[in-house]
Amino acid sequence: MTLRTRLFALVSAAVTVTVVLVTSAVSSSARRAFAALDAQRTAALVAQFRREFEIDGEQIAAGIERLASSDAVLHTAGDLARSRAARAAYVNEATSLAAAQGLDILDLVTDEGTIVSSAQWPARFGYRHSWATAAAAAAGAFLQPVELPGETALGLVAVRKVAAGDGGLFVAGGRRLDRSFLQTLAPPAGTRALLYLNLEPAGSGHQLIDASGRVAQAAPLAPLIARVRESGREASDAIDWPEGSETVTAIPLKGRDGSVLGALLVGSSGRELAALVSRIRWSGVTFGALGLASGFLLSYIVAARVTRPVEQLAESSRTVARGDWDAALDAVPRVHASGEIEELARAFETMTRQLVDQRERLIQTERVAAWRELARRLAHELKNPLFPLRVTIDNLRRAKTLASAEFDEVFDESLTTMTSGLQNLNTVIGRFSDFARMPPPQFAAVSPNDIARESVRLFRAQLDAPGRPAIALTVDLDESLGTVRADAEQLGRAMQNLLLNAIDAMPSGGELAIRTRRAAGAVRIDVSDTGEGLTDEERQRLFTPYYTTKQHGTGLGLAIVQSVVADHGGKIWVDSERGRGATFHIEIPETQG
Amino acid sequence: MKRFTFASAAIASAIALPIVLQAARPHYGGTLRIEMPGVIRTFDPVASSVDAAESAARARVLPLVFETLVAADASGGLRPQLATSWEGDRAGQRWRFRIRDAVTLHDGSRLQPAQVAAALRARGRAWKVGVDSDVVVIDPDRAQPDFPWEMADARNAIAIRTATGDLVGSGPFRLEPTEPRRIALGAHEDYWGSRPFVDAVQIAEGRALGDALASLELGRADFVPVRPLDLRRLVQRGLRSVGSRPLETFVLVFEPHRATPSDQLVRRVVATAIDRATLSTVLLQRQSEAAAALLPPWLSGYAPMFQSVSPLSGSAPARTAVASLPPERRALTLRVDAADPLAQAIAERIAVDVREAGITIKVQAPAGLAPRPDVRLLRLTFDATTPDRVLAAIVGTLGARVTSLATNEPAPGAGAPLDAVYRMERALVERDVIVPVVHLPALYGLGERVESWGGPAVWPSGAWNLANMWLRSEPLAEKPEKPHGPDR
Repeated sequence: MTLRTRLFALVSAAVTVTVVLVTSAVSSSARRAFAALDAQRTAALVAQFRREFEIDGEQIAAGIERLASSDAVLHTAGDLARSRAARAAYVNEATSLAAAQGLDILDLVTDEGTIVSSAQWPARFGYRHSWATAAAAAAGAFLQPVELPGETALGLVAVRKVAAGDGGLFVAGGRRLDRSFLQTLAPPAGTRALLYLNLEPAGSGHQLIDASGRVAQAAPLAPLIARVRESGREASDAIDWPEGSETVTAIPLKGRDGSVLGALLVGSSGRELAALVSRIRWSGVTFGALGLASGFLLSYIVAARVTRPVEQLAESSRTVARGDWDAALDAVPRVHASGEIEELARAFETMTRQLVDQRERLIQTERVAAWRELARRLAHELKNPLFPLRVTIDNLRRAKTLASAEFDEVFDESLTTMTSGLQNLNTVIGRFSDFARMPPPQFAAVSPNDIARESVRLFRAQLDAPGRPAIALTVDLDESLGTVRADAEQLGRAMQNLLLNAIDAMPSGGELAIRTRRAAGAVRIDVSDTGEGLTDEERQRLFTPYYTTKQHGTGLGLAIVQSVVADHGGKIWVDSERGRGATFHIEIPETQG
Repeated sequence: MKRFTFASAAIASAIALPIVLQAARPHYGGTLRIEMPGVIRTFDPVASSVDAAESAARARVLPLVFETLVAADASGGLRPQLATSWEGDRAGQRWRFRIRDAVTLHDGSRLQPAQVAAALRARGRAWKVGVDSDVVVIDPDRAQPDFPWEMADARNAIAIRTATGDLVGSGPFRLEPTEPRRIALGAHEDYWGSRPFVDAVQIAEGRALGDALASLELGRADFVPVRPLDLRRLVQRGLRSVGSRPLETFVLVFEPHRATPSDQLVRRVVATAIDRATLSTVLLQRQSEAAAALLPPWLSGYAPMFQSVSPLSGSAPARTAVASLPPERRALTLRVDAADPLAQAIAERIAVDVREAGITIKVQAPAGLAPRPDVRLLRLTFDATTPDRVLAAIVGTLGARVTSLATNEPAPGAGAPLDAVYRMERALVERDVIVPVVHLPALYGLGERVESWGGPAVWPSGAWNLANMWLRSEPLAEKPEKPHGPDR
């Protein structure tokens, strides 16, 4: 996992955790706030109902009072007191009076308790009124079951007596507590008001209404209603509906005698709250997702910004590792960073510069050493032939005193020796000259097998020479090999150097193997011997020019081989252990197509 | 001071008296505006009515244009109209009607006895109609001692078809070109009974009773039908009303599934629990009569004989017996005409009365499809004619399906003797499948400027006396001090 990935993951995780925590906290806080608001709302609605109820009661009492003192009712009361027969004329009087006063319920009742006119049940004239005379003493409005055609309703009513003659007329009327009454409450959104009418002996769901009519699903509310009916006190319950929970507060509605005639149920729907919380949650999720996306993007940018200099430094390190010191030094100043990364970049740059300087010094040292080695080698190589020459010259100088015949003999011998010495000098100089002027390769398509065979052929005679320790030659050539792009002469010389090197490594005989193989787009030539092998140090310095383990080697053979292989875009290496021989591997890219 | 007061009063009286006299004297001219619920689709007396509203409208409007030979009078008898006299043989198989001389038709021609005979023949009845000088001789298809009552039927009015195919009559008003939902009548200048006081009559058809009453109150109409429930409203606004003798009977009719012997107790309790007296006195403002029989007393004369048929009326045994019935047997659905507020009010009161006896009645006034009712409240309307004809009309209205639930006796036809009518009526109500409730008159409200001369605006028979109605040029200055009932 890269630094950038780790950094990105870390920052993203931090952002995610932060967003989730914030969203949860906001959601939880909102839920609590809404729950508190909901409780306040329910309390406000309950208070509103109480106020409405009181105001309605006062208005009804005032309305009945006004009606009782109106000319129409006084006139009616007077007529009725004068003549019983006049009742027929006023049979519809209550209907018009109720309409004028906006009352749902209005009865005109004689002091005997007989209904003269009824607005809510016009056909009931002539029958006894069940509560007007008994309730005449009540001061204000009160709740009262009111009989209607086919049903019994709950009314908020008041009664006033109009005196006329020896008797009087009771005016009993008010408003019906029904869905229109609930509609006047206008509960805020998310709340509702229901009215339970306790006008039947047993609790019945049919008597539960809301602003739109009868409530179909009344069963869940039955326990709460029953509790209020029995206790006569306000109670609350959380009701679970399929759509969600609802907090319902039931307020008992009592009649003149204190009996519970009904109950107002104020419901505050949890659905609204749940919807709000859900909306907030989803908003949180949405904004959280946006935050996460922004966080991911930001973390990516931050990670990229933070890691880019590190990556550049890493790349520079790899460049340094590849040996491209100058490129690495050029790249380091392009690393844009600050703080610790900048310090790291500067340190890296400093380190790289020091490495470059040290490398330069090392090269210089190596160069000096090489020159010294060259000089030593030259001195050594030249010293060997020169010594016989100097001895020969001394012999000649001493022979000058000899007789002519002896001098001539010495002179001839000296001449032969000097000629041989000069030839040796010439050979040494030629080798150095050859190494110095390695010509550029002349590429052509050549068969590695052919080069191997030609090289073996050149050494066949040497290997088969009598008296020489036996060296078994094994030639294993892959005939399916194609051609390589190479300079046949240089490659052949390299091959011959390796063969010569192998033969030299086995002065007591052994096995020599030449093998060709295809290896990943290249042709591989292996030359193995069973000589003494190489130490690690020898192996590391083997291709260094003028380095040799032979007593009379120039140290240029393997250097020339490496130079040729490098010029052909290939590579050379050696596997060897001390005492187990050595195998030189050459890989030359195979010609494509 | 007293002398001054007396002098002032005398002067004022001297000034006011001519004004009052002037106001009380009939005036010619003006247009009488009438509004009614029915819509008359054709003025041919022979044609059938589409519905009860048209039937009622035709019964009142057509006699203004087309007259019968005789007509019902205020005392329940017959009076001459196009026929000045009539006589029949002893068996009632031949009747001679002497046609009034000098009757001018609306087209200006004189009515000839032959035209009368031709018009009667055109009725398509199996009568033999001939002419003998100024006498039209009719041989009914069977012996009919009261055949003149048949001739008083508006369907036997004399309508003369002219060469152009139009129908002309001889009544006090002639038909003017009409507009949709508006009938225009013009005064017949040469009417044999003297020209009507008003020049024209405009009748707005298809008007709801409530709308018509509002028009009357606003002075946009002069003569409109009203319900008993509206009478107090008229009185409060200083308007008068006028009515006929009872020409309608409200009856409860049990459906076949509740007309079984097992429901006899329920029907009996319903029939006896209805407080007809209070219903008539209070709800119907004393304009109706409690009904124990189908025919009103003024028509049959034997109605008091039905008063004793309430042995279980409100009695404790009956209540106890009813209380022992299953609830579904004690519950009834009463259907009334949704367009008839009076029927609905009566039904509601019946429900209250019956509730006291332990039976629940749910009043149903459906505008469309509704569950099957158990009992219906029907309004039976009939003409002022002989009991046999009225009962025959009622039986016809109820239909054979209903009457067969009550009795298997065949309905007496026109001309049946009174005892047969009585037996039939008794049989109809005896099982309480058909329960008479109240008899009602036809009631009308009169506008402030409407007066009548020589009789009430509406005859006891229900016929409109428009020819004798005249219009004040100015409404009365003072409202009546005291409410009063309809003129009779």
